[in-house]
Amino acid sequence: MRLLAAFLLLLPLAGQQPATPAPEPAKPATPATPATPALEPAKPADQPAPAPAAPAPAPDEPSGDNWLQGSIEVGYRWIPNIDGNFNAYRSVVNLGQGPKLLDADFSLLNPSKILFDRADVHATSWGGDPYNTLRVDIQKDKIYRLMADYRNIEYFNFLPSYADPTLSQGVLLNQNSFDTAIRTLNVQLDLLPGKWITPYLGFERNTQFGSGVTVFHTDQNDYPVASLYSDQTNNYRAGVRMEMGRYHVTIEQGGTTFKDDQGASDNQPNSGNIPGFFLGQPLVLSQMQEQYRVRSNSTYTKVLGAANLYSWLSVTGQFVYSRPHTDVNYTESSAGNFFSNDLFQFYNGGQDTLTGAANMPHSFGNVTVELRPWRRLRIVENWNTERYHNTSNALLAENLLLPGSAPLTDQQLATDRLNLNYSQEEIDVFYDVTSRLTLRGGYRFQWGNTDLGAPILSGLNLETASLRRNIGIAGINYRFSQKLRLIADAEGSSSNQTFFRTSLQQYQKAHIRASYDVASSLHFAADFSLLNNSNPDPSVKLDFSSKVESASLFWTPNSGKWGNLLLDYSRSAVSSNILYLVPQTLTPAQSIYKENAHALTAVMTVKWFSFGGSMFISSGSRPTNYFQPLARLSIPLNKHLRWNTEWRYYSMSEAFYAFEDFRSNQLMTSLRFTR
Amino acid sequence: MPNSAFQAFCSLVLSTLRAILWISCLALPSAAAEMPGYVGSDTCKTCHEEIYNNLQKTPHFTVETGARKGWEKKSCESCHGPGAKHAESASAADIRNPAKLSPLETDRTCLTCHLNQQTPGGRLASGHAKDQVGCTTCHFVHGTGGAKLVEHKRSEINARCSTCHISEWAAFNRPYKHRLPEGAMSCVDCHNPHATFSVDAMRTSFGNEPGCLRCHSDKRGPFVFEHAPVRLEGCGACHEPHGSANPRMLVRHEQSLVCLECHSNISMPNPQNAKLGGVPPAFHDLRTSRFQNCTVCHVKVHGSYVDRELLR
Repeated sequence: MRLLAAFLLLLPLAGQQPATPAPEPAKPATPATPATPALEPAKPADQPAPAPAAPAPAPDEPSGDNWLQGSIEVGYRWIPNIDGNFNAYRSVVNLGQGPKLLDADFSLLNPSKILFDRADVHATSWGGDPYNTLRVDIQKDKIYRLMADYRNIEYFNFLPSYADPTLSQGVLLNQNSFDTAIRTLNVQLDLLPGKWITPYLGFERNTQFGSGVTVFHTDQNDYPVASLYSDQTNNYRAGVRMEMGRYHVTIEQGGTTFKDDQGASDNQPNSGNIPGFFLGQPLVLSQMQEQYRVRSNSTYTKVLGAANLYSWLSVTGQFVYSRPHTDVNYTESSAGNFFSNDLFQFYNGGQDTLTGAANMPHSFGNVTVELRPWRRLRIVENWNTERYHNTSNALLAENLLLPGSAPLTDQQLATDRLNLNYSQEEIDVFYDVTSRLTLRGGYRFQWGNTDLGAPILSGLNLETASLRRNIGIAGINYRFSQKLRLIADAEGSSSNQTFFRTSLQQYQKAHIRASYDVASSLHFAADFSLLNNSNPDPSVKLDFSSKVESASLFWTPNSGKWGNLLLDYSRSAVSSNILYLVPQTLTPAQSIYKENAHALTAVMTVKWFSFGGSMFISSGSRPTNYFQPLARLSIPLNKHLRWNTEWRYYSMSEAFYAFEDFRSNQLMTSLRFTR
Repeated sequence: MPNSAFQAFCSLVLSTLRAILWISCLALPSAAAEMPGYVGSDTCKTCHEEIYNNLQKTPHFTVETGARKGWEKKSCESCHGPGAKHAESASAADIRNPAKLSPLETDRTCLTCHLNQQTPGGRLASGHAKDQVGCTTCHFVHGTGGAKLVEHKRSEINARCSTCHISEWAAFNRPYKHRLPEGAMSCVDCHNPHATFSVDAMRTSFGNEPGCLRCHSDKRGPFVFEHAPVRLEGCGACHEPHGSANPRMLVRHEQSLVCLECHSNISMPNPQNAKLGGVPPAFHDLRTSRFQNCTVCHVKVHGSYVDRELLR
């Protein structure tokens, strides 16, 4: 493969000249005296050439009262009812009642051009909604551009069907639930934008905090306890982009810090998931405290280059190296009455402290070469390699409080590792049969190996696995004017070395997309995708199939003056069948998953009135119905003011988990002011 | 990959770069390369005034003002090529119209300037490039009729992508999904439509890590005790990122089956075909409610700082 690639690389170097120069704009000569411009056919040919038009005022040029443009929409949402499971409603919809800043979008053009020329601000869903966003873009021509993006997304999940061992007792408690918020801030400052050299600085922060329920695990019982989440990641980066005609280079240096101070606690008697007696004694947790103190940091270096060396040769490449490191301090104390399987006796509590560390140097490299030896032929060769080696250790000190005897102290040193060496090489050949038809053929080879600490029960130190995957690629692209487009891609592989039982092994993948502009007002698109994957190994017998068929129609009669119609329909079918071992008997059983789903979105707008919505209906392993109909009235009150009223309905029902069903009507009214 | 193979790869890359450097020295254009036939934007504007005025509203107008690339006062011809002949004949055949070129040729025109801007792969290896989806499919250079060169609102970005990616957008009708229809996220938060080196044009974060970690950075690690599929197969091994009918966007309706489909290797007869993932101990009796959901006890399924069994 590499010899072939080298040959392909060297082939054009032997002096092959491109058959036809690429349509790359050449450097302009000193502008010739403008010739008298000919007129477009629509204009009378015998008219004298018009004088060059006076420059139209650029919209960016503030004049008079146009220094501020944009819109703002404020309103109020009523939620008369949320029937059914409120926690499921919060997990899926989570919209609340009250006054809202629904949308603000404005551009500020600075007449004085001091400090900045233009500022664009866009904000959505403020005022207690679960998804608050703010985007600010400030720029001063040729000096700087500052972009900031902030999001606050509530992350709530409490679905008893997910993790509730006490469900059969009538307890609706998701023991792996959380009520958190994820906040992200991303700021980037580009200096000298548009110049050949553009330095930039960036800062990104991601925080997650909130509360939840987790489980304190002991050998014979598990206790749901309250948890607190608090982590923060900061990323700092600085770099420079250099654009030198046909060469482009980006060099970036970055660093990341991370801290995680999550914990869990319980201060009242807790009989756990297995209430009752074990060997004549109750297993009760009376108090516990758990505290993580994780600190991680990483620096990375990224070099990215791209070059249009010849009209027939382009090259890009990237190399990134990072070295993340983690330090861990962990403490846990518990009191109650527990049972130890190892000691085969009861104990009254314990104190654990752990210090650990992990290092994971990680490198990634890529080179892509595109050759265009002939006008109709294009060859793209791509190499990827990725390697990371995580080595870690942890020292755990345990103190067990045994009834009637001295505490039992133990120290355990554990080491672990996860190494990956992965590479991929792909060559694609594109041939333009005609100006409308392009054929594509290619070959991809993926190989790698990994080793990691083996599960304790295996009795091994390391688990190892290899990857060897040969993939054939084919495709057709057909274009007819600007109206019709057909894209078909297919790939298939027959390999026997993969990392996991469920990995892509012997698979066929196909994707066909077509779009057709029937008229300027009517757009039609269709999509079909297929994935079959199998692993015939007698201990696996994986048989997976996924098929999705979609069609959409967008109709804007009379240029949308009186309304439009949007229709999207998608049908998907997933079928999976694989052997697994039932843990208690180690006998094979089949894991069967099936889903047949229909998804429909239909929205019709007639003048000021819109109605429609979306629905999802599935049958199979987890039959689910989810409906979101809506109706919206949008009435202009004057040139600048519009009154919007919207009704939405959310309904989810699950055949096997009826206790999670919910329904909710919501009514919202708002005013949008546009300037 | 064995070290020898890696060294061979590095050697090949270095050889390639050396060859490229050598070629590029020969291929440097003469700075004074001059081509006749340019007339300037003022001439173009005479007939195409509306297009010119619309262009002023787009970032491409910096080309006209001379901020970059040496095309001052000739921004039209920076893409359309020399216009003198067209100006004389008024024939559409005498000017290059990128909208009517093949996607490849259109791309090449755009990439003359945009080869490296926020596009790590230089677009060469991107799915869009391979599918001949040209730049002008999504970017409206002239800004005619209010069409934007670049969409910034998330709802507009999503609408643009869903025009072609119908089935992907339909997945967001499912109850458990990322919040794209709500406008909290957009397709380009996770995918780079121009190019990346990852599968499905996934973005990277923190240099060379999966883009998912940009928001879910608590899953980033490095952990003292890693869970291999998170690193080796990515989030998609267990989750449907666009949307699912299963809680937590899982690929299976029962959480335990997500785990057991991998953790069922009782023997490894042929080391070459060995698969990762052991077997749960026999006292995990799935008939009891305690063991029906693995994450009740194995709470740190994405990786643990404390426990090899991912229990805490």
